[in-house]
Amino acid sequence: MEKFKILDISGDVGLTAFGKSKNEVFINAAIGMYSLITGLDAVATTQTIDVSVESHSPDGLLVSWLNELIFHFDAYGFIGKKIDIKEFSEKQISATVAGEEFDAGRHEGKLLIKAATYHKLRIEKMNDSWEIDVIFDI
Amino acid sequence: MRMDSEKIRRIDETKIEIPIDYKRGMRVRGIIYVDETLQKDLEDQSIDQVANVATLPGIVESSMAMPDVHTGYGFAIGGVAAFDLKDGIVSPGGVGYDINCGVRLLKSNLLREDVLTKMKDLVSILYNEIPSGVGSKGRVRLGPDDEKKILLKGARWAVEQGFGDASDLEKIESGGCIDGADPSLISKKAYERGRAQQGTLGSGNHFLEVQYIDEIYDEKAANSLGFFPGQVTVMIHTGSRGFGHQVCTDFLEVMEKAAGKYKIELSDKELACAPFSSPEARDYLASMRAAANYAWANRQCIMHWTREAFFKVFSISPKKLGMELIYDVAHNIAKIEEHEVNGRKMKLIVHRKGATRAFPPGHPELPEIYRPLGQPVLIPGDMGRASYVLLGTEKAMKETFGSTCHGAGRIMSRHQAIKKAKGRAIWREMEDKGIIVRSAGRETLAEEMSEAYKDVSNVVEVVHKAGISKKVARLRPIGVIKG
Repeated sequence: MEKFKILDISGDVGLTAFGKSKNEVFINAAIGMYSLITGLDAVATTQTIDVSVESHSPDGLLVSWLNELIFHFDAYGFIGKKIDIKEFSEKQISATVAGEEFDAGRHEGKLLIKAATYHKLRIEKMNDSWEIDVIFDI
Repeated sequence: MRMDSEKIRRIDETKIEIPIDYKRGMRVRGIIYVDETLQKDLEDQSIDQVANVATLPGIVESSMAMPDVHTGYGFAIGGVAAFDLKDGIVSPGGVGYDINCGVRLLKSNLLREDVLTKMKDLVSILYNEIPSGVGSKGRVRLGPDDEKKILLKGARWAVEQGFGDASDLEKIESGGCIDGADPSLISKKAYERGRAQQGTLGSGNHFLEVQYIDEIYDEKAANSLGFFPGQVTVMIHTGSRGFGHQVCTDFLEVMEKAAGKYKIELSDKELACAPFSSPEARDYLASMRAAANYAWANRQCIMHWTREAFFKVFSISPKKLGMELIYDVAHNIAKIEEHEVNGRKMKLIVHRKGATRAFPPGHPELPEIYRPLGQPVLIPGDMGRASYVLLGTEKAMKETFGSTCHGAGRIMSRHQAIKKAKGRAIWREMEDKGIIVRSAGRETLAEEMSEAYKDVSNVVEVVHKAGISKKVARLRPIGVIKG
């Protein structure tokens, strides 16, 4: 199964992510987002961070999840490559993300993603899979 | 064509009306400044967004959009909306993620001929001096107390650190520091994101451009601004970086809850808002002002390093070089301003999201030097075509709460642009046109190529014809730094 594809919109950039479970589609949305920032082939998994987010709605949970990862990149340069979700409920996600600090010498700078938005946000359960559409402000 | 687009009526050559019955819940009509040519590029979704804003409580006169309008989050980009302080709302979506994204322009005493042979040196020194692109860190290291000072003092903080002169401050909208910022309301995350990003250009459509004046439309105004044909200028376009984005992200959540609490019906989550008099709105405005000040300090630092780069390359005295600030405008901001509504003076909260303030001659908020002239308005175009200097007018005050356009506006998605640029060397195409470019990101140049944007000249023509600002000069790029 394809993990994600780029969603074409004017101005900014979006993703459609796919997954067999809700857990997997949230991971693939995050990996897709990281791959918009830099080519993930050059990223090593030498560091890990633990993240935990809460929200009162499913849409809010997805936006907070991605915004938390954006925060770790924008503030500390942390770029993730492998994600392990430890806990996933309607209102909360806890995960460990493995990756490393962005290094302009080794990593290609693609898009500077600054926020995940609610614009045209879609989290949908298909027959036996899940899909997410999300648009980023850049 | 959609059914309801039949309801849209052309008012005159420069504007169309979205009538109040276009959509259920509209409190006022919508007005979009477009001529027939630009109307062809107008997205249905942008029209819808202008109509959605017209449903918000306390909106005054009309929900407006400028000719560079395109679809944004909640509010369209290019939108202007003013709300009553008594019944109206405040919305972070009406300001945008990049709080106080804006433009500043510097002039010099140099002529285009003086710099052409040195452009490669100049562009590479500028590129090295001014951090830009993904993962770049600023040259100013800030402790938490320094960041708080920036949030309170804006460009004044930068001047106190030796970045530029005190005389720069009066030539910045709001003096480079808007009152009422409260650093105690800012989240730890915003502080963390802002720590290493002061004095950085960023990425995307942000840029630093070396330009020259190639056309003057209003000789008298141009003389007053110290402009002459062939004169070299520098334009800086950037905002409050990750700091402002975090403030917006934090408050979208607060405002979504607030909208529920105050029973404001929202047709789109990104329109989340709270009544002006609520603590949520008060806190947002105090935080937005802090981010606005962060952005003014940012542009001040970048301008300082720009001046230094010029001194290095041309080795003449600062006085001879004459690199004076012309003006600095915010084009993503909400401000309390006095306007006349139905013959009565009223205080309003004016949201400009991708729109520039354009105050007329004599306005008390203008510095003395510009009071006879009107406020300089800076309109950047794409990197291959042109940018403009305009002046604010009385008509803008009457029609658009003293507002005008802010740029060219995209017509192609980034992905489309990258596809279209495949196999082409955009930097070489630019160099063939006499424009030296440097960019941190490999794909940035493709995304930002001229074809991806509307022609800024068409946009400026509409606001000039509509009389909501008037053309003074056109600037052509010769050197571009992109993130």
